[in-house]
Amino acid sequence: MSKETGTRKKAAVGVFGGFVLAAIALPVGIALRDWRDVGTPTPTENVLNERTLVASTQPVAIPEADYFREVSALLKREYVDPVTDDQKLASGAVRGMIASLSDPNSIYMDKDAFRTALDQREGKFQGIGASFALVERGAANPLAPKTADGQPAESAEETLLTRVRVPRLMVVGLTPEGAATKAGVRVGDLVYEIDQHWVANTDLLIRFQRAQKEFDAKKITLAQLNVIRKEVREKTERALMPLKAIDKLAQGKTGTTRVVWERDGAKRETTLAKGLTTQVPNGTLTGKTAVLRFSAGAKDTLTSALAGGATTLDLRNGGDGDYKTMLECLPLVVPTGTYGGIETDRPEKPTPLTVKSGTKSPRSLTLLTDESTRGAGLIFAQVLQKSGIGKISGKQASDVFVRTTVALPDGSGYTLVKGRYREKPTAKMVASNASVTGVTK
Amino acid sequence: MKAWAYVAIGLAFTAIGYGWRDIKTGQPSNPAAWQRLAGVVDERKDSPDQVFKSGYRLIRDNYIRPVKADDLKFAGMQGLMAALGDPHTLFMPPSLAKRFSEETVGNFFGVGARLSADPMGAKAVNVFEGAPAWNAGMRPNDVIIAVNGKKVTGIPTDDIVTQVKGPENTIVNLTILRSGAAKPLEFRIKRGRITTPTVESKVLEGTKIGYLSVSNFAEPTADQFDKELNRLDAKGVTGLVIDLRGNPGGLLETAADMLSRFVENKTVLTMRKRDDEEVVRTYSGAVRPWPYPVAVLIDENSASAAEIFAGVLRDYGLAKLVGTHSYGKASVQNLYPLIDRSSAKITIAKYYLPSGDFIGRKVDGDGVYVSGGLAPDILVELDFDSDPVIGELKKDNQLAKAVELLEKK
Repeated sequence: MSKETGTRKKAAVGVFGGFVLAAIALPVGIALRDWRDVGTPTPTENVLNERTLVASTQPVAIPEADYFREVSALLKREYVDPVTDDQKLASGAVRGMIASLSDPNSIYMDKDAFRTALDQREGKFQGIGASFALVERGAANPLAPKTADGQPAESAEETLLTRVRVPRLMVVGLTPEGAATKAGVRVGDLVYEIDQHWVANTDLLIRFQRAQKEFDAKKITLAQLNVIRKEVREKTERALMPLKAIDKLAQGKTGTTRVVWERDGAKRETTLAKGLTTQVPNGTLTGKTAVLRFSAGAKDTLTSALAGGATTLDLRNGGDGDYKTMLECLPLVVPTGTYGGIETDRPEKPTPLTVKSGTKSPRSLTLLTDESTRGAGLIFAQVLQKSGIGKISGKQASDVFVRTTVALPDGSGYTLVKGRYREKPTAKMVASNASVTGVTK
Repeated sequence: MKAWAYVAIGLAFTAIGYGWRDIKTGQPSNPAAWQRLAGVVDERKDSPDQVFKSGYRLIRDNYIRPVKADDLKFAGMQGLMAALGDPHTLFMPPSLAKRFSEETVGNFFGVGARLSADPMGAKAVNVFEGAPAWNAGMRPNDVIIAVNGKKVTGIPTDDIVTQVKGPENTIVNLTILRSGAAKPLEFRIKRGRITTPTVESKVLEGTKIGYLSVSNFAEPTADQFDKELNRLDAKGVTGLVIDLRGNPGGLLETAADMLSRFVENKTVLTMRKRDDEEVVRTYSGAVRPWPYPVAVLIDENSASAAEIFAGVLRDYGLAKLVGTHSYGKASVQNLYPLIDRSSAKITIAKYYLPSGDFIGRKVDGDGVYVSGGLAPDILVELDFDSDPVIGELKKDNQLAKAVELLEKK
């Protein structure tokens, strides 16, 4: 055998060996990945391995973080189209958790809606120049029709019958130059229809169930029942869910939209042009009245308003405001002390609302409110009233919720209600904070 | 070749193998997968893991009302899967998963009655003939007001159903209100295995047309279909209406099985999966003679297997479709049970009818129907104003139209 043949043979063996190795290494790599993705990334039990599942005879609790990871991995492995956006899955999960609370004050907003909400907090409005809130009917809705003895007109049975709670959409803020204001829309008006899409709510369902009962009791005819049946059918075919409806009204800088409004049961149709409008700038002083909204810079705004001699604070059209910003503002107007507290429906004790390093020379203030004064704004007004410094002038909404706002990496975000302000501390709280309460007396 | 060359080749191909899934799915750069290999857990605040985890904790610990941790976790998973925008890819918490599997299998231990909400308790909208409740004397429209002596007024129907169900051969005592009865009736019922009837048939009054309604495609449906067909054939029907209105679908195998009574070894559908394509065909040796014309009733609530069944019959010219367009579900899901008894239903394929049609539903941004579903050969809207009763010839204008079509032939 020549040296050359020997070398060639050696090379051939080498290349063959390489191929064999590659053929082994490739499936090893694939198997390694399967093990790593589907296997146990943490010491807890694997969620999704079908073999484990079949073998399992008792339900096993799975920690939430593993759940998220494993369900994401399962989707990526099995879904018909490639799943590449992990952040979208995470935001979806958050959206699902928020939605499960069925709370009109804790809402998830997609990227555009969240941007809109943040802009509105800064006084910048798109769309028809209005902001909206979801209000529940029945006892939860302060504006719901009441009977003579002050009870909600809707019976408990009807509330139960509907099961699905679809809140109404109410105007809670208007820009002075916005199309809505110009068309005569007022705070407290309800949105009934947008561009011929009915804004879903439970009222229609309740009316239908009532009619169905009356028909069963032979109080109305089939023809009468059919009228409302037809209405239900036509409306639900073109229904718009309330959060979607907010997007339609509060987003966009061009075009027009046709809106049917409801006020005291009467309906009114308007055609509104969309555009960019702004709120009266925060801190604007007219005579002795200063506009105050709890957005970034509110503390400085209030400081200069007080320096400018303001004796009235206009808290209207402020949206729900930022609770932390409001807390920063309180020491400028009230003395040190505890003014009620924040309670929850959890078994925990309420948290006293305590102002440290408060002002030593408080000034009497008038606080202008209406149904647009909500959340942080209304808590501010009630704290001042409790302290004896402020006098509320105007309607008060029932929204005294403490919200937190969270931004997510993909631009979406959500608000979560953490508690509600109570002017009068509960007995439990008085007992636990007796000395603090004593200070305020 | 040098040893280091072998090591390099081995490592390189192991690495390619590890990333093979990403290469195949068109996302060759997937750092998370490599981090997992190295045992690195992504703790960045804005990593998807952390976004979920911190949201979960914030809500669980700080929401104004107490939140059940498990419910929250499940809601998160429901949201995660909903993020794909595919209404058929969804997460089912244990309670829902159990009910779903019962519906698909078509049998469970109980008394054999379908219950619906009633202000007094739960109303039996249907009592299955031959089932324990029927044998004990319970009838449709009876209202259950107590289970084992405990009042159930005001309790959610699902909870009442849970109380009525139980292990096989155990006893449940039901207190029933029946209109016309002077006082509540007591029934002592032994629970048994219930096979839900999914197929019902009759000869339509005043005609020689058979009417066969299929409520869903469960495991026993094909057998029940045969039985009811034999019954109708024995009565000498001259036409058949198969009613799939409101049929949400069910098992693809059952639909293929039932279609095998019409055609053998023909394409039912082409399933396009992530990596391959599969053709589902009808079986051989199960074809029946069809000496009479067939019409199929569909509406917007006919979906999935119901649409496949109707679509295949239409594509092979075996039946005319009457009614309104169907739902438009052109995808196939797999069910993945998880170890905590919840499950995930995931779309693994899209399907195309024998004609090549894709009938997937399209909706606009508001969720309003735009296109998709099977278009009927004869479009007839159900006349709601006439207070229709489905399956009653004189009170069901869609059925009347189908009968008219068959009688013309």
